[in-house]
Amino acid sequence: MSYQEYVDGKKVILTVATTGGVHGKDANPNLPEQPDEIAEQVRECEELGAAIVHVHGRDEHGENNARRLQEVNDAIRDRCDDIIIQNTTGGQSTMEERIEGIRTDPTPEMASLDMGPFNRGQHIITEHNRHNIELLAREMKEQGIKPELEVFNNGHLNEVYRLIETGLLEEPYYINIIFGSGTFSIPSPENVMNMVRNLPENSEFNLLATGRHQLPLTTLSPILGGHVRVGMEDNLYYRRGEPVRSNAQLVERSAAIIDRLDADLATPDDAREMLGMR
Amino acid sequence: MTCPRLEYRSSDEEHTFDHERPYCTVMNEFVSPMRADVCNDRFEFSHDADCEVYRSMVESSTAIEADDD
Repeated sequence: MSYQEYVDGKKVILTVATTGGVHGKDANPNLPEQPDEIAEQVRECEELGAAIVHVHGRDEHGENNARRLQEVNDAIRDRCDDIIIQNTTGGQSTMEERIEGIRTDPTPEMASLDMGPFNRGQHIITEHNRHNIELLAREMKEQGIKPELEVFNNGHLNEVYRLIETGLLEEPYYINIIFGSGTFSIPSPENVMNMVRNLPENSEFNLLATGRHQLPLTTLSPILGGHVRVGMEDNLYYRRGEPVRSNAQLVERSAAIIDRLDADLATPDDAREMLGMR
Repeated sequence: MTCPRLEYRSSDEEHTFDHERPYCTVMNEFVSPMRADVCNDRFEFSHDADCEVYRSMVESSTAIEADDD
């Protein structure tokens, strides 16, 4: 979790978030929504070096449906070799829906765990209160599912420290720091470095930045000893005015940047070891 | 109750899909997956309370009716 670790050759875990719950094919027709098309893109991304896939489920209309996670997980396992499946437990649905992310068969190796609410539109606040967060964290611990702690803004980092105090998390804590508009942290290199300085001891961090900020800020992350998440959940454009053709296009670019930085990508097994998953 | 201004369409002037997607006839555009939860009154959402588009349409309609009085 430092520049020195980068210099010393620390491997970089590359996560792809193919779909998400925010955008649809009307925003970019290349966004995969159905299980088979998601799995096909995940396979391409795994071949290019992605070690983790962050997964959302959609129904036949492209709308969010956590009960489709099982089908998506099955399709990914059919097509891919060893990529780590990280199901979402986020979004704006009820706890009853969101907990589906950790109740697939088999359970995922990882799952996201939002550290607090965020705003959508004029009237929506997601239902991530402390009670729900602890309930999810407890079940993840019992099931041996590694949580990725989603820190949408630096106040959520306080919530990470609080959750550590409950004893529901195991080291190393895997923290995804998130930059973008709205409730997310304001995207800037200074804010990235400040956030990294404030991370708990014995943690690993991943970096997600939305839209235009994905390329520069995820490039900064490995230099600070962090990991990288890219994908169409967070960014629908390859460059200004040019829509992304597929998730593989974003993964390929990040893999090339990491290579140019003279760092190695972590394999799924490397990632499991680095994150204390075995 | 689902929003009366929600439809499911497979095309508009800009897009054609091989499946039907949620479409807002107030905005005249396809709606995002998250907004569609509000349109469909899923979970604990209610389009007449939580959708700013629907609310502004109702407010505009009410204002027009008041002007007519």
